[in-house]
Amino acid sequence: MRLVDLIVRSGHLSEQAIVGAVMSGERPAHLDRCDLCAERAVELSRWLDEVRVAGVTVADAAFPAERLAAQQAQILRRLEQLDEPARVIAFPSHARLRREANGHRVAAGWLGVAAAAGLVLGVISGQWSARLNRPVTPAQAVQTPASQPAGEAAVEPARPIDASLLDMDLDSLSVPAFAVIDGMTPRATQVAMVSNGSGGK
Amino acid sequence: MSGASTDPPVSAREADARVAVDVKALQAAGRLEAARERFAELVTRHQRRAARIAFHYLRDAADADEAVQDAFVKAYMHLGTFREELPFEVWFTRILINGCLDRLKARRRRERWIAPPILDSSGNERDAGDYLPSRGPSPEDQVLAEERRAQLNAALAKLPERQRLVFVLSHFEGRSSREVSAMTGLNESTVRVHLFRAIRRLRALLASGAASKASLRGRTNRAAR
Repeated sequence: MRLVDLIVRSGHLSEQAIVGAVMSGERPAHLDRCDLCAERAVELSRWLDEVRVAGVTVADAAFPAERLAAQQAQILRRLEQLDEPARVIAFPSHARLRREANGHRVAAGWLGVAAAAGLVLGVISGQWSARLNRPVTPAQAVQTPASQPAGEAAVEPARPIDASLLDMDLDSLSVPAFAVIDGMTPRATQVAMVSNGSGGK
Repeated sequence: MSGASTDPPVSAREADARVAVDVKALQAAGRLEAARERFAELVTRHQRRAARIAFHYLRDAADADEAVQDAFVKAYMHLGTFREELPFEVWFTRILINGCLDRLKARRRRERWIAPPILDSSGNERDAGDYLPSRGPSPEDQVLAEERRAQLNAALAKLPERQRLVFVLSHFEGRSSREVSAMTGLNESTVRVHLFRAIRRLRALLASGAASKASLRGRTNRAAR
């Protein structure tokens, strides 16, 4: 008997002591002498039994035999998977290549690389062509006919067409089969002289 | 320790230890199928008890089911760390409790973001035990027993987790304070304090529940008259 029980509880056991006695099964000597405490212990014991039965019933109802059997099967399945060595499934490389060649699947990364490469090439070629096509000076631009490209004008300044040069070119291009037609056709120099003569008048 | 005895195992503890040692040896020898078959004996022996503990701790049958499965799988994987001087039951229950704790933490994290707990009309948190199918017809005794179970379930749900765990292990599973201490990692004195507080609180909750029901019945009877 503890002193505190003696003073505060008139010699009766505390609730904690009764719980301890009931739970551990060790019966204090006081219970043999005190009917009130013995009755408290019996009442607590009955209540605890009732609680245990109710608690176990609820849990067992949630886990009937079928559920436990399914659970055990699931556990064993998981253990089997655990014991099996990891398998690496190798995909045939030619099948993958064929798939890519058919165009069904192109990695997104490669698309990005191709786009970036295209952009870089475009910029470089743009820079390069700009460097080659230097701007023409205004004086040269005035002399250059509108129909001629700027590149040729930069290399050789344009000159007025020489009529004899035209004739020479035509002669060099003469084809024997067309000689008759050629004879009937007036020369450019003649036309030019006629037009110059009329222009002078 | 009773390891020196050459007699066949008389206690469940010795039988468990023997099976665990066999499984370990079979695993080491690479006879995995035989190891699994032997381990199934341990599963059969401890499954029901584990399900009860997990169910009362987690308050959810599906969660408890998964926790029990995980605990057995972990036990099988780490059987090499099991020491025979410790009861398998204690070692395994500790694995189970740690798994349940992890699940409770994960559940709390989920609930923080997803939805508040479902409450019934009296403001109690509803749990799976409330929705279990009743067995057969319902005479008055069965109805009363069902009602008492529901009350107890609600009262158990209101206990703090540690108190509930200690109460379930001590009282439902009949474990001593020392065993509960080994299973939970709490001090023996802490276990005793938790147990006492759990019992006191449960009694108070069930008494107040019974009183409120009695007053409700009285009011309805008076209204009927």
